[in-house]
Amino acid sequence: MSAAPGPGEALRVEAEVAANRREGGAGWRLRLRAGPDWPASRPGQFVMLSPGAVGAVARLDPLLPRPMAIYATRPGDAGAEVDVLYQVTGRGTALLAEARPGERVRVVGPLGRGFPEPGAGEDALLVGGGTGIASLYDLAARGAERGARVAVLLGARGADHLMGRDDFAALDVELRIATEDGSEGTRGLVTELLEQALAERPGAAVYACGPTPMMRRAAEIAGARGATCHVSLENRMACGFGICLGCAVPRAGEGFDLVCREGPVFEAGTLAWDGLP
Amino acid sequence: MSVDLSVDLGGIPLRNPVLGASGTFGYGLELEPFFDLRRIGGFVAKSLTLEPRHGNPPPRIAEVAAGMLNSISLENVGVDAFVSEKLPRLPEGVTVIASVFETEIDRYAEVCKRLSGVPKVAGIEVNASCPHVKSGGIEFGQDPRVLAELVRAVRGATTLPLLTKLSPNVTDIAEMARVCAGEGADGLTLINAVQALDVDLERRRPLLWNGLGGLSGPAIRPIALRMVWQCARAVDIPICGVGGIASAEDALKFLLCGARAVQVGTASYLEPRTCLDVAEGMEAWCEAHGVARVADLVGTLGSHRP
Repeated sequence: MSAAPGPGEALRVEAEVAANRREGGAGWRLRLRAGPDWPASRPGQFVMLSPGAVGAVARLDPLLPRPMAIYATRPGDAGAEVDVLYQVTGRGTALLAEARPGERVRVVGPLGRGFPEPGAGEDALLVGGGTGIASLYDLAARGAERGARVAVLLGARGADHLMGRDDFAALDVELRIATEDGSEGTRGLVTELLEQALAERPGAAVYACGPTPMMRRAAEIAGARGATCHVSLENRMACGFGICLGCAVPRAGEGFDLVCREGPVFEAGTLAWDGLP
Repeated sequence: MSVDLSVDLGGIPLRNPVLGASGTFGYGLELEPFFDLRRIGGFVAKSLTLEPRHGNPPPRIAEVAAGMLNSISLENVGVDAFVSEKLPRLPEGVTVIASVFETEIDRYAEVCKRLSGVPKVAGIEVNASCPHVKSGGIEFGQDPRVLAELVRAVRGATTLPLLTKLSPNVTDIAEMARVCAGEGADGLTLINAVQALDVDLERRRPLLWNGLGGLSGPAIRPIALRMVWQCARAVDIPICGVGGIASAEDALKFLLCGARAVQVGTASYLEPRTCLDVAEGMEAWCEAHGVARVADLVGTLGSHRP
């Protein structure tokens, strides 16, 4: 067993599945027992998860781990319990959905740089779309704890795709919802809620995670009002800790940043949005 | 029984035969959180060019059956930053082999010169899978005359142990091995990634921005074993086998086929401790099979024929 990690260092563990179930609609919640050495993470950090439970015979196909946002971490009987919210979108997540309690999943993390956290009395607008919602819960919870005025704006295709809505509703935050089919909240896009909210709270800081067009629009809305905007990007990754160089995204100006190392959270103005995958 | 795991790779003494492969081990520092790098044979750092270079735009990687495609291109910090910023942060006792790639032969030689005499650099691996500008983009390692010229130039530029990493994208890999041995290479590393293509059907375009990419992972292991076996029969210099190794058993097969040492590549992405697991697993296998020296296994592949 290796020593506990230093500050900011990632750990590799085979975490026991405590629970893995559908959470109404399309979302799944995976709860992992990450153990006593698991370091505290910052909101917006992520983990790499093996595609499905680790068996007696190493799985070679699909080969690569999947990056997943850390939704929340809580103390458990045997160390930290890490929650991940996900939707089944391909082979890796389909196998992950088959992982049963008691089985083990390989976890590497916490990885990346998280969001800057809003301080006491500051206005924070958190904008989440689709699976991107999962990156924002910890930020909302901690912001509220620290006394920031947090509004969470969630958007999805329909009510079924609103991951974690009850958790957000239980926080001391203002919650606004938009669905494309009108099955919950306002009918329309979450960025329309952002325009409205930012008009009500000029000077608020914007934090966004979701599909690239949604984040780009959020950055435009924030930019037009002179508000800061941080976005959390997704990208294909093979490792998550800076060795495969597969998750590069273009910087404004020239060159690339790695989503795993310089991100996944970026100040929106530092990115070359046209070149994002 | 204690097992002697040490091997000599062309003048580079290794405490065990397992190295992290270039391009899958960063500059070593990235793996430090996961295990003590002094417990494996060592690693080959990300390939270096004379100047820092940006790589290709995304998408750079794609998952395929039992493997992945990549087209990162030349992204690296440059040789000078490697020497001044990366190497000093590695602990003493870690065996580091520097990897070099460039687009022209005199630039390869210049990078090798700058690495010579640098403490902590145990040897140089020349990556011959880079497109040669003067040959219209064909890889150095695909033309025996260009490859000979390259190895001669880098051999003249450094007295460090010199490995040449061969491209598998050739008709006759043994010919390339003979060329390198003839020009004074101390050892060979093979294979590099296999040139490949996969397609996004709905968008009717390649998965990767670059179109073509390099296939790596377990999918290429039998190809790598075949090429190591062919080269081992063709030359006397030691061979470092690489291609799809994810377990001790995989690594031991390379030794039987003639490899003196091995490199773990893509497997480090999904399990950062793979190198250590492979080294420990080789020791356990040797113990269980009564093998006192792992070097005794090299080139002992038998035959079905009497």
